[in-house]
Amino acid sequence: MSIMEYNGGSVIAMVGKDCVAIASDLRLGNQALGISSNFQKIFPVTDRIYLGLPGLATDVTTLRERFRFRVNMYTIKEEREIEPETFAHLVSSTLYEHRFGPYFIEPVMAGLSKTPTGGVKPFIAATDLIGCLNFAKDFVVAGTASSKLYGVAEGLWEPDLEPEDLFETISQTLLNAVDRDAFSGWGCIVHVITKDKVVTRTLKGRMD
Amino acid sequence: MFLTRSEYDRGVNTFSPEGRLFQVEYAIEAIKLGSTTVGIRTPEGVVLAVEKRVQSPLLESSSIEKIMEIDAHLGCAMSGLTADARTMIDHARVTAQNHAFTYDERIKVESVTQAVCDLALRFGESVHDEEAMMSRPFGVALLIAGIDELGPQLFHTDPSGTFVRYDAKAIGSGSEAAQSELQDKWHKQMTLREAQVLTLRVLKQVMEEKLDQHNVQLAQVTPAKGFEILDETRLKEVIEVM
Amino acid sequence: MYQESKKRERTPGSWCGRGMVTVEARFSKGAKARSNGTGSEFPRMPAMISLAQPQQRQFNPYSENGGTILAVAGADFSVIAGDTRQSEGYSIQTRYAPKVFRLTDKAVLAVNGFAADGNMFVKKVRQRLEWYRHAHAKDMPLRAIARLIQTMLYARRFFPFYVYNILGGIEDDGTGAVYSFDPVGSYEREACRAAGAAQSLVQPFLDNQIYFKNQTPAPGTSHPVHLPLSTVLSLVIDSFTSATERHIEVGDGLEMYVVLAKGSTALQSIVSVRGIQEMTTTEDGERVFVIRRELKKD
Repeated sequence: MSIMEYNGGSVIAMVGKDCVAIASDLRLGNQALGISSNFQKIFPVTDRIYLGLPGLATDVTTLRERFRFRVNMYTIKEEREIEPETFAHLVSSTLYEHRFGPYFIEPVMAGLSKTPTGGVKPFIAATDLIGCLNFAKDFVVAGTASSKLYGVAEGLWEPDLEPEDLFETISQTLLNAVDRDAFSGWGCIVHVITKDKVVTRTLKGRMD
Repeated sequence: MFLTRSEYDRGVNTFSPEGRLFQVEYAIEAIKLGSTTVGIRTPEGVVLAVEKRVQSPLLESSSIEKIMEIDAHLGCAMSGLTADARTMIDHARVTAQNHAFTYDERIKVESVTQAVCDLALRFGESVHDEEAMMSRPFGVALLIAGIDELGPQLFHTDPSGTFVRYDAKAIGSGSEAAQSELQDKWHKQMTLREAQVLTLRVLKQVMEEKLDQHNVQLAQVTPAKGFEILDETRLKEVIEVM
Repeated sequence: MYQESKKRERTPGSWCGRGMVTVEARFSKGAKARSNGTGSEFPRMPAMISLAQPQQRQFNPYSENGGTILAVAGADFSVIAGDTRQSEGYSIQTRYAPKVFRLTDKAVLAVNGFAADGNMFVKKVRQRLEWYRHAHAKDMPLRAIARLIQTMLYARRFFPFYVYNILGGIEDDGTGAVYSFDPVGSYEREACRAAGAAQSLVQPFLDNQIYFKNQTPAPGTSHPVHLPLSTVLSLVIDSFTSATERHIEVGDGLEMYVVLAKGSTALQSIVSVRGIQEMTTTEDGERVFVIRRELKKD
């Protein structure tokens, strides 16, 4: 069986009007066996950037620490917070360093970048496990339920959703996709990032 | 006349010069020796009744079986060489079960009758040098009763493999008298109870012995309960009404 | 479709295909100086016998031709749809190969998987339907067709028709019905089902939009059990445009068959649909319509 399906788990990020959302399931499994229903896969990078790490659980932990280290080093050296675009390239190059012995993670990130006029611009991106970047304008998905997430998101997503509507769209997409995936589910967590705040909600889902 | 007959009446698959199959005709004759069997169709269901000839007081009359179930919605009464009917009913049952297995629905009364009649003409059939499966025509006639999407129906089959639908039909030794009685008494809006009573009355007229719950058997097919053979208490009750 | 593999045994002393020791092996034993067995120092032509190698050929009877099918049952109608692209690997064989077939006035069958098996299967089902009509003097009811398909598929349990079937139509009681099958005949009656290349994309979307999964009705209200035909048609079109967007094997054209029960009220809403075509000739029984739409061709 594929190593990408060893622990299971899925992440999705979507763009809204002046907001972004990122969401994941909460399952940690050992192949078909469920281990935890409270396994965190999404981590805050800055106040305005969140990073989702679906894939092999051991690499989730490793990469989280690695990115924490690298972002801290960046902040100290540059004396400013990292921008989402820059962070995406940091993720990409970190993964590509391990081109021939990769981390089994397909990261998804969502954030708001600053515009010259002082406003914010939604940003989402995803990469494959060796760091090939995908800057999508609508939504990005990764994990064991990715094909299901694509299908539902393609049907539900529309441009310029307000934060509350974006929350509903991403939640419905994730819940319905993971319900058809044996390796994802066991509850969900959703972060909606706006200019002023990040709203985090945990969702109840099917526990089978 | 007799001479011409004797030349052609032996082979089961040889026509006589007049275009007759004597063995089949004799088989039809054999039915006229059988006990009387009556069937009546009503809008409420179909009733079958047979006379059981209890030849000896030592004979267990309950062991005489002349009405048999084919499927939950199909019943069958026989007259003639009843042993032959076992083969036919067995075939009918298999056909009905196969139909239910393949199509998840009850087989139609006409279809199961057709299947039985297909079998009736299989005598004298042999492949290459192999022994034929059946050596002679069946010596039995059947009244097949059932209910399907077309409503309650009654079919009569004979050894020639011909089948015809009837509103009411009598076969066996007393069939001529019984049939004319049915023709007189049957009417379109008959109730099931009326049909039960009529079958017994008709049998009573043609039976030598006095009719009681031991020497007749009564069965019916209704939309609600399907095929059922009436037990002694229910039979007794009908006899009393009669 | 043909694969060929040769296994060359090069170890001296091993058995060749005809069960003999190779020439090299025999001479190399105890005759080191004449290593090539000819007594000369020139390279020797290999003996003919050493070329006899075991060969294995095999024929793969199956291939996978992509595409997706989908069916939804309403209260008194049923919609059965499929795209028309047929592909093998990364090549498109044709942009118009129907996967949805009208069987009777009240039954439509969609087949997906290996196209050759699918077409042959539909042919065989149609043959059985005709035999049934002759034997029993009526059209086969939908649930009987469903059971027949199971027995036909299971009859090939050990050399299956490589097809996923979805049967849609009108039941004898006048309700819309959908039956879905696996290649060996497991089947179930459902309200909706997607199958084929984009099943994983479409099915969870249908769960959400048709079964209202993960949706709570507003207090004092409830979700509808059956959706109106216009809603179903929109969902089917959306499903296929979504699948076309994200799946390379889906696209080109969309065929949606609509089966209406006798006197279905959905009739008014359907007659105005653009390009609709009726497949039935009688107006008093069940009616079958087909609606065709273009899908992206890239």
